[in-house]
Amino acid sequence: MDTVTGSAEQEKVPVNNAKSDAELSDMVLTSEGQACLRSLIRVWFEFERDLSNVPIVQRLESGRLSKSDYLLLLLNMRQQVIEGSRWITRSASSFERDYADVRSEVIGHAYDEHRDYEILEQDFINAGGKAEAITSARRNTGSEALHGFMMYRASQPNPVDMIGAMWIIEGIGNKMANQWAEHVRQLFATDNTAKFMSYHGEHDGEHMEELYRLIDRVCHSEDHLYSITRTAKVVARLYLLQLEEIDNENRK
Amino acid sequence: MSAFITSTGMYLPGDPVDNDTIESVLGLVNNKPSRLRKKILASNGIKTRHFAMDCEQRTTISNAEMAAMAGQACIDNSQLSKSRVGLLSCATSQGDLVLPGFGSMVQASLKLKGVELNTSHGICSSGMMALKYAYNSFANNEHDAALVVASELASRLFKATRYEITEDASPDFNAEFLRWMLSDGAGAFLLEPQPRGLCFEINWITSYSHADAYPVCMSVGQPRDKEDTRSWQDYPTYAEAEAAGALMIRQDVRLLDNVVKLGVDGFLNLIEQNKVDVDSIDHVLCHFSSEYFKSRIFDMLEKAGAAIPESKWYTNLYERGNTGCASLFIMLDEFAKTQNYKEGDKIMCMVPESGRFNNAYMMLTVTKG
Repeated sequence: MDTVTGSAEQEKVPVNNAKSDAELSDMVLTSEGQACLRSLIRVWFEFERDLSNVPIVQRLESGRLSKSDYLLLLLNMRQQVIEGSRWITRSASSFERDYADVRSEVIGHAYDEHRDYEILEQDFINAGGKAEAITSARRNTGSEALHGFMMYRASQPNPVDMIGAMWIIEGIGNKMANQWAEHVRQLFATDNTAKFMSYHGEHDGEHMEELYRLIDRVCHSEDHLYSITRTAKVVARLYLLQLEEIDNENRK
Repeated sequence: MSAFITSTGMYLPGDPVDNDTIESVLGLVNNKPSRLRKKILASNGIKTRHFAMDCEQRTTISNAEMAAMAGQACIDNSQLSKSRVGLLSCATSQGDLVLPGFGSMVQASLKLKGVELNTSHGICSSGMMALKYAYNSFANNEHDAALVVASELASRLFKATRYEITEDASPDFNAEFLRWMLSDGAGAFLLEPQPRGLCFEINWITSYSHADAYPVCMSVGQPRDKEDTRSWQDYPTYAEAEAAGALMIRQDVRLLDNVVKLGVDGFLNLIEQNKVDVDSIDHVLCHFSSEYFKSRIFDMLEKAGAAIPESKWYTNLYERGNTGCASLFIMLDEFAKTQNYKEGDKIMCMVPESGRFNNAYMMLTVTKG
């Protein structure tokens, strides 16, 4: 995720090396869980590199995003965000009795995020957009594919691979809070247009702990590792498509 | 195929320069002390370094001569005659001359007869590229011995006058950042196809470049104005290029976090390919600044069972300075001569380059000939 804190411009206390031996013994993950986490970290890094080549992300990250670009970005993201609570709750209901504890975690996650779209819509209005424009907009090609895939996977019995989907979506939330929100605040010179993006940073630590626990809990075999990684890769690919389509579909 | 590092050497110019003296060597820009110096030095943790420059900013030894001194030290430390060296492979970020290649100048200084020559171009990772060229040459049984030399004379870029001559006559943060980071020095390895004494077998050298995904992060040759896409060579005169700040060395510090991410990504890739078994690593030599270890990626690596405990990390960055492509050579030389290690020990080396994101890795095994 976007985990490197601060830039070289910030005050830093020199630390001579990596973590001490004592701290290392606190590792909680099983060896299968660790292999899965290593694999997910790599999927994330590749996704992040691909993201940097998406035109609207390039404009955002280099400070060239226009106000109308931002409105389009929110408009297009909203359709996936509002569906987000559906695939999470669908996943929860697909977990059978042996996964009751996982179901509880996933329900908690769904509860935390199922009204995120309202914050997003308010940002859209604060940035000068019309309420009816965002509520009546349709899913773009990428959002359609992403939503379809999410609902399909979430409907399978015991969809442990959805941890891979949560990993990517959580990572995006993280990246928005830590990198993108600041660009938007600078663009509008106000705080009330980037609440959706910045809000994701607030529960950052807890959500990461939750994901570690889930990975540890559900990844017990080569097959699990494969399916979790594959779903993470597909979600990453379709998320890119969703962002790429913003520039493709809004051309006259 | 096997290749063994059977000798190492280094050359550091002049006396060590401490943090309080550094500005009197590089010079005061517009006669004013830097406001960023202490902050940047605190973040990189470097205590002393060396400069091939005196207090009046006059070069005391050329880059090629430094390289030759390190190469000679490496040969003097070996059991081999210089005449057995069949390949000279050199690296630097900026040679003394724009042309010819740096290796030609080093060969002349070392008076090596009729060798095969290679010069690799780049920044920090160019040393590893030069090393890999030599390593690969043993696959075809081409040489009895190869000398690999990496050398940097960065301080020429940091003279106060370089900043004063630009149109606005003051350095921006990105132009000043490296002034308190980089310094001068050279290191060398002698490679042979069989072990000799207690030496280091090179198991593999691998690198991953990500220039396709990210913009330039460290450069010389671009003007200060980011909208201006000209290279320093596109200006009518070099004086105009200099005035536009196109001859300054710059680091886009906002992009630096990516170095860590990509460094970790490459490391995890090597684990995935079974080239690295984290538990079997005995020593880590890494051309990293200390600040990186504060990042949360390292916390994540612990969770993922891919972190290497503190006791296994060795660096001499804080005493010898960040000498770019020469750093790892200077590090292994000092490690070999001062640290405890034994036959069979695995040494993981990492050289991340921020230029446009190229990360190089190498695995060594301590071997006895």
